[in-house]
Amino acid sequence: MPEWVGPVARYILEEGLPGTLRVSSVAVVGSALIGVVFGTLITIKFLPLQAFLRAYIEIFRGLPILVTVFIVYFGLPSISPSFEFAPLTCASIALILWGSAQVAEATRGAVQSIPHEQHEAAAALGFGWAGRHYSVILPQALRRLLPPFVSLLVNIIQNSTLAQTIGGLEILGAGARQSERLTSFPPAGIGEIHAAEIFAGVAVLFFLISFPLTRLAAMLEKRLA
Amino acid sequence: MLLATYDLWAFVSENWRELLDGLGNTLKVSAVAVLGAFLIGALLGAARAHRMPVVSQLTAVYVEVIRNTPILVQIFLIFYALPQFGILLNQFTVAWLSVMIWGGAFNSENFRAGFEAVPYRFREAGYALGFGRRATFLNVTLPIGARIALPSSINTYISVIKNTSLMYVIGYAELTTTAINISNLTLETLEALTVLGVVYLTLVWSLSAGIRVLEARLALPESR
Repeated sequence: MPEWVGPVARYILEEGLPGTLRVSSVAVVGSALIGVVFGTLITIKFLPLQAFLRAYIEIFRGLPILVTVFIVYFGLPSISPSFEFAPLTCASIALILWGSAQVAEATRGAVQSIPHEQHEAAAALGFGWAGRHYSVILPQALRRLLPPFVSLLVNIIQNSTLAQTIGGLEILGAGARQSERLTSFPPAGIGEIHAAEIFAGVAVLFFLISFPLTRLAAMLEKRLA
Repeated sequence: MLLATYDLWAFVSENWRELLDGLGNTLKVSAVAVLGAFLIGALLGAARAHRMPVVSQLTAVYVEVIRNTPILVQIFLIFYALPQFGILLNQFTVAWLSVMIWGGAFNSENFRAGFEAVPYRFREAGYALGFGRRATFLNVTLPIGARIALPSSINTYISVIKNTSLMYVIGYAELTTTAINISNLTLETLEALTVLGVVYLTLVWSLSAGIRVLEARLALPESR
């Protein structure tokens, strides 16, 4: 194996991979929490709340995620300097906005698919709205949400590469930096172009992370169908 | 702080030509890519649904590779890696090619599902009427299966349009690149982002509304 491969691979795995994992884990947890809450609340028949949540869902599902990333990275600081965040944080926020809209829509469908008798039975047992949803409706709805959650995880991991466009250091960003470094003269680089090998390696790394997860999603979908 | 100087009208009236050119490029790339993704999807989807040897397996590999790698990495591979093998493509070609390859993979799954949803007895009826395999596909499976696949394939086309914004990374002057470049010069960040938001949401929302209309109009008589 050529001499340049070792340091490049180490940089991608030690500097890039943690960035991808950090952005993805924050984004998945944030999307799931906000999405489930919003998706449950939108089933309440209270027009202003429904209108607000519907607008939130349609806007962040409709915008290209890159535009949402730019809104967070370029837009928020120009409203107030206190909204200026690091690139990876911006990517997490943008992915939460997009992911929570996806989860909210899926949750709404899952909650509404629970038969009405379940609501009535829970109400008859003396549960209020919150207790009814927390103890009876959501536990059943969440089972149906399991496959979409795994697909969401895959999508979020892949879309975390958008952090690269604003200078975030994740797997793709690390690969791009190394590919650029190698083209410069020694001692920094070796004056050679190895973009093909590096980006193919990045693609393989993402495939190794995503493929088991998409298989898992397909399996869960079959089992829960 | 910049909120006080927010002036959408000034931004649009000073830059509408560039913005319109950008939107034109977005639509041009989208049109080529959507057409290509439709053809790839229909052909490879048919190969998958009819379990054509070799083509079917190769399609499965193509779909898994595209689905399990980020589209941004695919764009980087086409833009930065192909020149290493002497293949130099201009930005416009990279733009439509990369979103077409991505959309084609997702669309072949849409069409596979659509063709597989056509009841076997329909095809049997075609054979009974003396149609050959090809005639049965063209006259029975395709018209019915494509209708079943229509909503999901339009969703894929919407994603294709949204993904053209990623051409920002190769500097192709579609809408996103144009708006961000203008805002870098004029510092009218919020105005540029407003334009992006309004234009993309208008495109996406009207296409989503179109799906609902088409779904109702093209519904199969059985499910009507």
